Amino acid sequence: MLGKIFGVLSVAGLLFGMFTGNTEALGDAVLDGASRAVEVTLSLCGMMCLWCGMMRVLQEAGVIRGLSRLLSPFLRLFFPQAHRTGEGIEEISANVSANLLGIGNAATPFALAAMEKMQKSNPHPDRATSDQITLAVLNTASVTLIPANLLALRRAAGSERPYAVLVPVWICSVLSAAMALFLTSIPGWIKRGARRGEGDRRG
Amino acid sequence: MAERLASLAMPLAAALVGAFMLFGKRDYFAAFTRGASEGLHTAVKLLPTMVALMVAVAILNASGAVDLLSEVLTLPAERLGVPSELLPLLVTRPFSGSASTAAYSTLLSEVGADSFVGMCASVIFGSSDTVVYVISVYFSSVGIRRTRWAFPCAFAVMLFCIFFSCFLCRLWFF
Repeated sequence: MLGKIFGVLSVAGLLFGMFTGNTEALGDAVLDGASRAVEVTLSLCGMMCLWCGMMRVLQEAGVIRGLSRLLSPFLRLFFPQAHRTGEGIEEISANVSANLLGIGNAATPFALAAMEKMQKSNPHPDRATSDQITLAVLNTASVTLIPANLLALRRAAGSERPYAVLVPVWICSVLSAAMALFLTSIPGWIKRGARRGEGDRRG
Repeated sequence: MAERLASLAMPLAAALVGAFMLFGKRDYFAAFTRGASEGLHTAVKLLPTMVALMVAVAILNASGAVDLLSEVLTLPAERLGVPSELLPLLVTRPFSGSASTAAYSTLLSEVGADSFVGMCASVIFGSSDTVVYVISVYFSSVGIRRTRWAFPCAFAVMLFCIFFSCFLCRLWFF
């Protein structure tokens, strides 16, 4: 995936640059890009250390466990199959809690564990169940209380108000997550509605 | 007011961790340094990827392709309320975290982090995720090939996020 992205961007850039005659700028761009990468990574370095350290403390103090216990009654509503079989709901709650705290490298293993548990009760192993889809889509729109990298990147780019975007980010990501839960529930409602409709006709 | 409260988020998190270090029974500072060195490893491992992607984004920007495309898209983009300068971020965001980080930080350095476009980019970057990457990793890990409504839903959510971010920034800041 990354190779393709690099390929598309650099080949398209070179061809277009030769076409417009911007070739000098291209040479400078390579030199600047490489050293800018070090600057950006360095400016993220401190925040990643701090954040991973702080989140490790919260993890070992059991904050993820506490949060997922709080969240699981609410999450059960959106994962009916996992709720019925009891398989995976714990991992799903842990995944959402880890995302909430912004611990990406803890959230992914929880999600993959949940996918595996839900796969056990999947009647068609090559086809996704609706709960698995809900979990995957929810993870593309996860809510994070403190997006640490975003704040560090803003500050590094010279922002005077790095935190100004925090409340809009909360609003937008909560609505996106709600949207994800809503959209992924629609096929289930339709199916249940159709089944009920058939029952009515037979009755 | 909201901004002043929000800027307390980080110090509050630090104080919470500090409280665990003060009153917890375990050695939480050792836990902190363990986690921090893991974070350092992650950051160091990120550098080679970032070098490649920042160079690629820089080449594309310098070639004038981005400028031309945004100019072409300016009119439809304005109608939709999404600034056309966001294009590199929007194109890379679904595929890769590091590519979109490269696009995002390049964008911020060009338009300014506190400008309208910078704010829009920040809200989009903070509330969307790498749709294609996440879905393919999750489903391939359990050998599922038919992902059914996963991609349509995820892209619909992302589109909503893009439009709503720009709308919200216009209401919120300007």
